[in-house]
Amino acid sequence: MNIKGKNLFFKLALATMLTLTLTISTTQVNAQTQSRPNILLIVADDLGYSDLGSYGGEINTPVLDQLAQQGMRYTDFYVAATCSITRSMLMSGTDNHIAGLGNMSELNAPNQVGKPGYEGVLNKRVASVAELLQENGYHTYMAGKWHIGLKPDQIPHARGFERDFSALVGGGSHFDDGWNINWQIPMMPYTEDGRPVKKLPKDFYSTRAYTDKTIQFIEEGRKDNKPFFSYLAFTAPHGPLHLPDDWLRLYKNRYDEGWDGIRQKRLTRMQELDIIDKNANFADRLAFLPRSSGMVPAARVLQGRKMELYAGMVEYMDDQIGRVFDYLKEIGEYDNTVVIFISDNGAEGNDLRSMMAGQPGTMGYLHGMNNFAENNHNSIGRKGTYAEYGPAWAQVSMTPFRIYKGWVAEGGIRSPLIISGPGVKGAGGLNKKAVLHVTDIAPTVLELAGIEHPATYKGRDIEPMQGKSWVGMIEGDTESPRTADDWLGWELFGNRAIRQGDWKITWLYEPFGSEDWQLFNLATDPGEQQDLSNELPEKRQELIALWDEYVETNGVIIGDRSPFEQAGKQLPTRVLESDNYPPVRGLEAVPYEKLLELMNRQ
Amino acid sequence: MNSKIRHIRLLAFVTNLAILSFSAPVFAVDDGARAFWKAREGSTVLSFQFLNLNMQASGAEQFAPGLYIYPNSDAEANIVVASWVRHITLFDRASSFAVNLTGGSVQADIGASRPSDFLPPGATPNSEFSQSSSGYADPTVQLDINLFGTPRLKSNVDLFNYEPTWTVDAAVMLGVPMGEYDDDKLVNLGLNRWFTRIALPVKYHFGAFSPGYMGSFEITPSVWMFEDNDDFLGQTLENDPILQLEAHLTQDFTPTVFGSIDLLYRKGFESTIGGVEAGEELDIGDLGYTLNVTTTDNLTIRASFSSNVFGDNDVENSVIRMQFVYRWHEATENNKKLQHH
Repeated sequence: MNIKGKNLFFKLALATMLTLTLTISTTQVNAQTQSRPNILLIVADDLGYSDLGSYGGEINTPVLDQLAQQGMRYTDFYVAATCSITRSMLMSGTDNHIAGLGNMSELNAPNQVGKPGYEGVLNKRVASVAELLQENGYHTYMAGKWHIGLKPDQIPHARGFERDFSALVGGGSHFDDGWNINWQIPMMPYTEDGRPVKKLPKDFYSTRAYTDKTIQFIEEGRKDNKPFFSYLAFTAPHGPLHLPDDWLRLYKNRYDEGWDGIRQKRLTRMQELDIIDKNANFADRLAFLPRSSGMVPAARVLQGRKMELYAGMVEYMDDQIGRVFDYLKEIGEYDNTVVIFISDNGAEGNDLRSMMAGQPGTMGYLHGMNNFAENNHNSIGRKGTYAEYGPAWAQVSMTPFRIYKGWVAEGGIRSPLIISGPGVKGAGGLNKKAVLHVTDIAPTVLELAGIEHPATYKGRDIEPMQGKSWVGMIEGDTESPRTADDWLGWELFGNRAIRQGDWKITWLYEPFGSEDWQLFNLATDPGEQQDLSNELPEKRQELIALWDEYVETNGVIIGDRSPFEQAGKQLPTRVLESDNYPPVRGLEAVPYEKLLELMNRQ
Repeated sequence: MNSKIRHIRLLAFVTNLAILSFSAPVFAVDDGARAFWKAREGSTVLSFQFLNLNMQASGAEQFAPGLYIYPNSDAEANIVVASWVRHITLFDRASSFAVNLTGGSVQADIGASRPSDFLPPGATPNSEFSQSSSGYADPTVQLDINLFGTPRLKSNVDLFNYEPTWTVDAAVMLGVPMGEYDDDKLVNLGLNRWFTRIALPVKYHFGAFSPGYMGSFEITPSVWMFEDNDDFLGQTLENDPILQLEAHLTQDFTPTVFGSIDLLYRKGFESTIGGVEAGEELDIGDLGYTLNVTTTDNLTIRASFSSNVFGDNDVENSVIRMQFVYRWHEATENNKKLQHH
């Protein structure tokens, strides 16, 4: 063989080896790609525990109900009491006091400002789940609400999302007018792929826009067959209650009967669905809320109108989720996509508009006057209005629990959870054993993607995740990722809670709490109606010890100011009339129609 | 805003959706923008209108439907119309009943060359003469009932649920010959004959149905019919029906102010006196505008102007109108008493 011939031989051999190597490596990559599922994480904003049909709600949510039929529902899934707090834990897998949202950035107390864990943004002590996925071969997309950082190095594009269309804060208009409830950030800041969005399109409606972008991102990124992590963070049904015109009256008059009847029906359905136990203690109507049967029909219509809008927003969101699912089916990715659906906190019963823009003479009030003053019953739901559905409907949304968003009672921190997709066993099932937490989602996602949480990220040490992966649970190997000794802790605005097993202690400001620790058994008393502190002082003390551990572990600083410190004075006084008081004799003799006729004069 | 005040205003709004329910069409003006908007059953409306009408007919045309004034004449009328309107429910539909009392004065300068048979006593053929009349005109009553789009508005519940899009009404007006009439005069405020109008008001509402955002397109075809006047200068005056088309494009500017572009077109009314055709038929198209200001929960003030801009070139007219409308409902007033207690 001459030199030339040898060269040719070597070239052929090299080419063959290269071809083989490439073939093998391509096969491995494909195999890896095939084995790693897409992950679609859907977060609703202020959605209540019992709003979905699969959780007992009367709102029409066929897409999510179908998802529940394909996958699993979980009854004891916890988030934080407000939005950004939850999102910091969702992204980091660790407690919010470590991840930078020890308090909401808008409401940091003076003694919290500048302290580690109270940066008000997702800090650099943690790596976001998107950062880790992006680094490990996933496409990472986000559409929707971020709320954990505004500056260029804090926004989604800087925290691991290769594509994004993000509302950096929450609580603003769902339409193209784009105002924000907070006068200090008067216009909703949106980013797209890391760049500020200067102008929203005329037909912008948040829920539809986020859906469009999610589909667009997946479509544009799917050429390389890499799996995706898509975070679809709706701003619905958070106030202001806004809907496109043709959805405004979808639920017309469906809530005229008032909150008590609707809540009772939800309770019944939840019992039928086995979401709640028949003999359990459910929360009473909040003391300052009137019974709806004692309200004149016109007042019920006005109050019901708000719930109609809320229900419309929920159904609209469900419809748009259906669009994403349809698209995934169309491109053949639905069966390889794990879908996780949650809400970010309890339903909103606070009067956010009053809190932010309700005091005449303040900048917030001026901002409200200029941008969202309209509140006529026929206007609400449209541009320029700010309607919320209030504490009575929020309590319906949080049936059977007590209180609502902002508070660490069950009504503020329980969320629906649906998981479906490849590897999820027990289609249509309901898990009532597992006590789950939002910090679990990041470790679950990483395990599904075959990624280990590192000790360092981009040269900096990062905190370990506190959450526990659900992979063993969703694959049917275990009932819960937690043991009987495991516990969960919450603190926000000075309100505190610990749950271990069925036991829970809470420390709440008045009037919802006693400003001391109270003890509840959630197995028999999910409504947190019966304080067992006196009966079981030792159990209470055990849990208080866990609270101390929680503070120590996470660097909790109780604020020296709280938005709820005056709640007892700000909330309406207790209504005198309730279901059985004062006792009425002979009322049953008056036919209901006659009563209505009399009331109709009002 | 204080919740009590909000409640009062809300009730005031829903109680008094109907701003106006009457005008003085017999004096060549339209019903007006939003005239057929509905209010809660039991609402009462009192309205006072002041009208100044100027009319010039240079040819053989005539004007002032209902009134017969000689062709080729100038006239000016100052009219006051007082109306009482009650909103009721008929056949489970939102309806209203109105009584209108009209009075004022009219002055006409007539320059036509006419056969002496058609001249009033004392007038010389082929020369100008003037006539005037003052006093009450013929009162009218009108019943309006919704056929489509506006169910009963009996309670606040009905009102809160009321967000109309298309509505169709039927309205029948009857004129009673009780006004001032002198059979020796050409110019009278009374017609000396019964007359009626049948109208089919159609509306399309757009925008949110809440103050500040409401808009409407309204079109009302109608036909006027007149009995013969058998005592017109000793002869019989017969008139063909008038076909009328009234249209308005209205829009709220603020919660208490709306404006309207108004159109009124009338055709017909050919006259025969003693069996002899007299004058040509009406063919008048007026275009105008209206500004309406709600000053309190009860009181609304409206100003409008219109003038003919198409139709027969030989006829001109203009109308200036000021209207004061006061309305109330027992429940709203009672609620105010409670709030001020």
